[in-house]
Amino acid sequence: MANQDENKEGIGGMINPRRYGIERVAYLLMRLSGLGLLAYFIGHIYETSSILKGQIGWNEFLAITQTNAGHAILAIVIAMCVFHTVNGIRVMLGHGGVGVGKPARPDYPYIPASQNIRHKMGIYSAIILAAIAMMYGLAVMFGE
Amino acid sequence: MRESIIMKIHYGTALAAIALVAVHILMRLTQGFAESLEYDSVIANYKFLPYAGMLEIILILLSIHGFNGLRVILLELKQGQRYEKAVSYGCVAAMITLIAYGSRTIIMVNTGMT
Repeated sequence: MANQDENKEGIGGMINPRRYGIERVAYLLMRLSGLGLLAYFIGHIYETSSILKGQIGWNEFLAITQTNAGHAILAIVIAMCVFHTVNGIRVMLGHGGVGVGKPARPDYPYIPASQNIRHKMGIYSAIILAAIAMMYGLAVMFGE
Repeated sequence: MRESIIMKIHYGTALAAIALVAVHILMRLTQGFAESLEYDSVIANYKFLPYAGMLEIILILLSIHGFNGLRVILLELKQGQRYEKAVSYGCVAAMITLIAYGSRTIIMVNTGMT
């Protein structure tokens, strides 16, 4: 008898953004941005601890981050932060039953009521706002 | 703890962190971005007790939210009694370590132990 585990796609299935529309892309971006932000947060805690080494230690560490690459990474962090926040609020509202439609008899072609235009607009808004915030961040960092 | 309660904590920490992180970022924009990161400016921020307290709260909120998020992702990937226990305890341990390390910086700078 075939093992049930054969149907599990593992990480490959988890990171595959195809087949299920923009909601699946949002699912992937939410996890990627979450992991990215956690990595940045840990790095940020470590980075700020360099202030305990005094002014020289702080300036040395700051010099590493105040480069073009450092600014580019920070711009990506800003985009991840905005997307994760806006999409997170959408997910919270959805879990609370806001904007998921009313229960109805399932008729062909069985379109899920929760995957409606309001939530799709929420996802696209999150992506657009993240892009705008990233551009603003780049303008602030490279504008000086 | 029940998963429904954990998710409420996850959402609560997220909403609280949004407000406090917004204040933290706006503090960087009250001066020029580069000036706000100068040594004296950062030390002054840490020595201002309400701000230091806010940093401590942000540290706790984001550590809880971040490591619970990591736990959720890892549990989506694989299930099993031993695996789930290892992931949950591992995430709690990492969370406590990060909070302790970040708190050490905040307390030492705030009390002038640099």
